[in-house]
Amino acid sequence: MIRIIKDTPGHLLIEIEASEANLDNSDLFKTQVTELLDRHNKNIVIDFNRVEYIDSSFLGALVAILKYAMAHKLEVILTAMRKDVHDLLMLIRLDKVFKIYGDYEQAAAAL
Amino acid sequence: MNAITKKILLVDDNQLFLKMLSQAFKKSGFDCITAESGVEALRILKTNIPDAVLSDYEMPGMNGMQFRQELLADAALKDIPFIFLTHISDNELMVIGLGLQAVDYVLKDTPVNVIVSKLNNIIYTVQKQHEISKNELKKAAEALNVRSIPQTVPLISGFEIDFWHQPYQDIPGGDFIDFIQADERHTFIVLGDIMGKKWMAWFFTFSFLSYVRAAVRFGVLSGDYSVASILHKVNEVICLDDVLKDTLSSLSLVMIDTETQQISYSGAGDLPLLYYNDQKATTKQISSDGLLLGLFPDGKFSEQQINLENNDRLFIFTDGMTDLSAGSGKKSDYNLFTNNLNPLLKYGHNFESLKHELFESSANLRVDDCSIIQIRKTT
Repeated sequence: MIRIIKDTPGHLLIEIEASEANLDNSDLFKTQVTELLDRHNKNIVIDFNRVEYIDSSFLGALVAILKYAMAHKLEVILTAMRKDVHDLLMLIRLDKVFKIYGDYEQAAAAL
Repeated sequence: MNAITKKILLVDDNQLFLKMLSQAFKKSGFDCITAESGVEALRILKTNIPDAVLSDYEMPGMNGMQFRQELLADAALKDIPFIFLTHISDNELMVIGLGLQAVDYVLKDTPVNVIVSKLNNIIYTVQKQHEISKNELKKAAEALNVRSIPQTVPLISGFEIDFWHQPYQDIPGGDFIDFIQADERHTFIVLGDIMGKKWMAWFFTFSFLSYVRAAVRFGVLSGDYSVASILHKVNEVICLDDVLKDTLSSLSLVMIDTETQQISYSGAGDLPLLYYNDQKATTKQISSDGLLLGLFPDGKFSEQQINLENNDRLFIFTDGMTDLSAGSGKKSDYNLFTNNLNPLLKYGHNFESLKHELFESSANLRVDDCSIIQIRKTT
């Protein structure tokens, strides 16, 4: 479901491998990212470049991960989103909740 | 009954056999994914969930038993019907395999058409069982008279209310609607969408609805008719509720005041409402500020007044209306929905006609629960 692209002292960069982020893989995604937060205790940058569609179940998982990270004083940053996916997050005001950057370099600089 | 293509994952290190079997399944209408090893199959299963797995027993590296054990250890994969495919007719192995909750064994020298029929029967039986359980739950819900969607619309002086709701794959899901006529003057219209699908989301709709109803009633009793204030109260309670604190929901809350003929609106992580101006024949998005219910104790809810003139319409809807299957994938497109709706509104189609022409016509493209409410000013 996810692949670790980069492991730096301050953060992990992970990529979502699925093109459809939906109910079928949202629980698995939540479990895997939560485990990474537990194991590494680092901020996480999530690369969305492969994701073409995201449903509300997956958005729920994403928000649950954010809340979990915040409780552990860690950050979750979203990056490389396609326009459709980014537009949806804006429509439902999740852009006010997540830090979203165009690419990894911008995200890393913000950490 | 829906006519969704059945998807099967075939796992075998013999490429030739894999190809032959895959062709036979495709010919019989299956969507077939193949993997030449257990490791490759596990990789595929990370993003692709089939209706059944048919796996060889003897494979180099990870054998069929080990592959099965990997699936059983994963909550997301353990319940997919699993069938062993082998040329070994060893009773002891079969007992071990069945101990690993394999649904069945198929010998490799079985004619291909028999293998296909067998798989078809297994998937049918599992789905049938699922259907029976679903109907039992539906019956229980009806017996308890619990509904997350009303059966009738309220009569409100100066306005006409209509709604359309279609649960995803006919299984009750996370969308909920309510019309609360708080007193002779004030009617509240509620449209929510629990983040999730099917039964799990459906169960939570009642808790959310109860809190919304209670907040509206308590608000009215204390003279507080502010929709933003009501959303704030609902959100605060949900954030404190141990059962609901990890459950999120969008919510559009609209109140119609028949005395002033005004509408007030506050939203929580909901899609923008769509306002249709009949005189100008134009549509406009009306966005709110509030965050999803259950996200943070301060949901930043604000409130706005909407004035409809005669024949103007206001649409409140969930993301099921804007998410559709598109070619090989799915897409979420709010603008496409409004672009499709616009010409029909310009030609004066009433709500019944919108249902036939637009909402119901794309039923096979739907990927989520669909709900839409129309408020039309009649005077």
